[in-house]
Amino acid sequence: MNAQIKRLVAGLALCLGSAAAMAQDVVPVVSARSPIARLDAAQVADIFLGKTSRFPDGSIAMPVDQSEDSPVRDRFYAQFTGKSPAQVKAYWSKVIFTGRGQPPRQAADSTEVKRIVSDNPHAIGYIDASQVDSSVRVLAAR
Amino acid sequence: MNPRLLATLLVALPLAAWAQEAPSWKFSGYGTVGLAHSDNRNADYLVDEFKPNGPGYTRAWSADVDSRLGLQLSAQITPTISAVVQVLSQQDENNSYRPQVEWANVRWQPTPEFSIRAGRIVLPVFMVTDTRRIGYATPWVRPPVEMYAMVPVSHNDGVDASYRLELGAAANTFQLTAGTWKHDFPTATGYGGGTAKARDILAFIDTFEQGPLTLRLSLGRANLEIPQFSQFTDAFAAFGPLGQGIDERYFPSTMHLKYVGLGATYDPGRWFAMGEWGRFDTRSVLGTKVAWYGSAGYRLGKFTPYVTYARASVDSPTGDPGIPLAGLPPPVAAGAAALNAALNQTLNLLPRQRTVSIGARWDFAKNAALKVQYDHVDLDAGSTGTFGNIQPGFQPGGRVGIFSAVVDFVF
Repeated sequence: MNAQIKRLVAGLALCLGSAAAMAQDVVPVVSARSPIARLDAAQVADIFLGKTSRFPDGSIAMPVDQSEDSPVRDRFYAQFTGKSPAQVKAYWSKVIFTGRGQPPRQAADSTEVKRIVSDNPHAIGYIDASQVDSSVRVLAAR
Repeated sequence: MNPRLLATLLVALPLAAWAQEAPSWKFSGYGTVGLAHSDNRNADYLVDEFKPNGPGYTRAWSADVDSRLGLQLSAQITPTISAVVQVLSQQDENNSYRPQVEWANVRWQPTPEFSIRAGRIVLPVFMVTDTRRIGYATPWVRPPVEMYAMVPVSHNDGVDASYRLELGAAANTFQLTAGTWKHDFPTATGYGGGTAKARDILAFIDTFEQGPLTLRLSLGRANLEIPQFSQFTDAFAAFGPLGQGIDERYFPSTMHLKYVGLGATYDPGRWFAMGEWGRFDTRSVLGTKVAWYGSAGYRLGKFTPYVTYARASVDSPTGDPGIPLAGLPPPVAAGAAALNAALNQTLNLLPRQRTVSIGARWDFAKNAALKVQYDHVDLDAGSTGTFGNIQPGFQPGGRVGIFSAVVDFVF
């Protein structure tokens, strides 16, 4: 009986743990050579929405988006900007058709994001946490 | 040159080239297919002073209120120089859909924070003036007519400069615009056709953004000429100094316009709330108009229901005794009475009304949204509001219901 409860609690904890991992599974990444160590969610959001063109240290930030069909993109914008895909599209329509700017460059997939980011210390991308390797550095959320 | 600017330039040049291999071209577009219905057949519902007709008197259902197509070509010519041309087709003052150049300008952006544009540029009088044609970018079927019919200008030919100051998590953008503008009036709105010309436009906009919050201040001035008003000048001049005094007050050859707008938006994602107040002072028969609205919506997955309350009022006389008739010989008195009537009719065109709107947006596809909206328009006593093509059966001060359905898309 006691063992059963323990197993149940352990199972429950596992479920909660993986749910937390699910919610945290998109991570912003920069080049391993970038001096940027951490950004808060609002700073990441401002860079990807074109509201700033710089990292907090004043250096130029070059955001790299994922393609519009990718689920990681939808999760990223939901998590960091609170916007649905339609809201992001509406936001960029506003910017594009008033001549204020263009959305970030789009990479084909996480592999291309990593390639661009690892090549350029000013680039910032986002990928699924499971795709992280030594070519990029995960920005700690503040 | 300050070291930071120099460093920015040195870094920005190769990076911008990396971002977009110059010269690069982008083609994009937006549009709306819509239908609107008015339950009052004695006047047309006009969303601004350049619409020749609308739902109501001309036809019960009209596709001309919101339907439009905009095409845009933009080019990154060098890492710091870009150009954009946008052509817009929508019902114009001649009741045609002849495409017009909405804007065409060249932009120089030496740093991410500073840019200068020259050519035909958007004139962002109020908060959504620059995006009101892009239905997909706005939550409603159309921005509140009370506020957005007040200054129906969307672009000016000239220059603008913009500077963004980043303040930690917040940013403040200053924008200064100068230029000229002209537009033909249709006869439907009661101002008798002709071409309005605005010169010496000078506008200042300050936008403060912090996360979900946006605050906006807009100030502007211009000199406006409406040539057809000279017929009033000639007529009033015939009545001596008193007539000239009335003429100078209401029909100056150059009207000195001033406007001020204050706006706020809060949009944390799940819901939004926004409000705006504006005042447009013409020191002429076009009066001093004041408008405000508040709007809020809640996002339930792909559905966003919203409500809006909007109010248009007038802070200047909507009537004038005109030339005193006492003591005038009968034929002269008849002429004066006719002129007084024409003056009062024109003054009474200043809209006083309030609208409660309820509607919903449904993002049914990746690039398209369907919206439905019902507007309950309540006219102040004696006012014909923003309606035009007024027929004898129209009841000033009454209530009108407008139903609209639109599909907005971008590509």
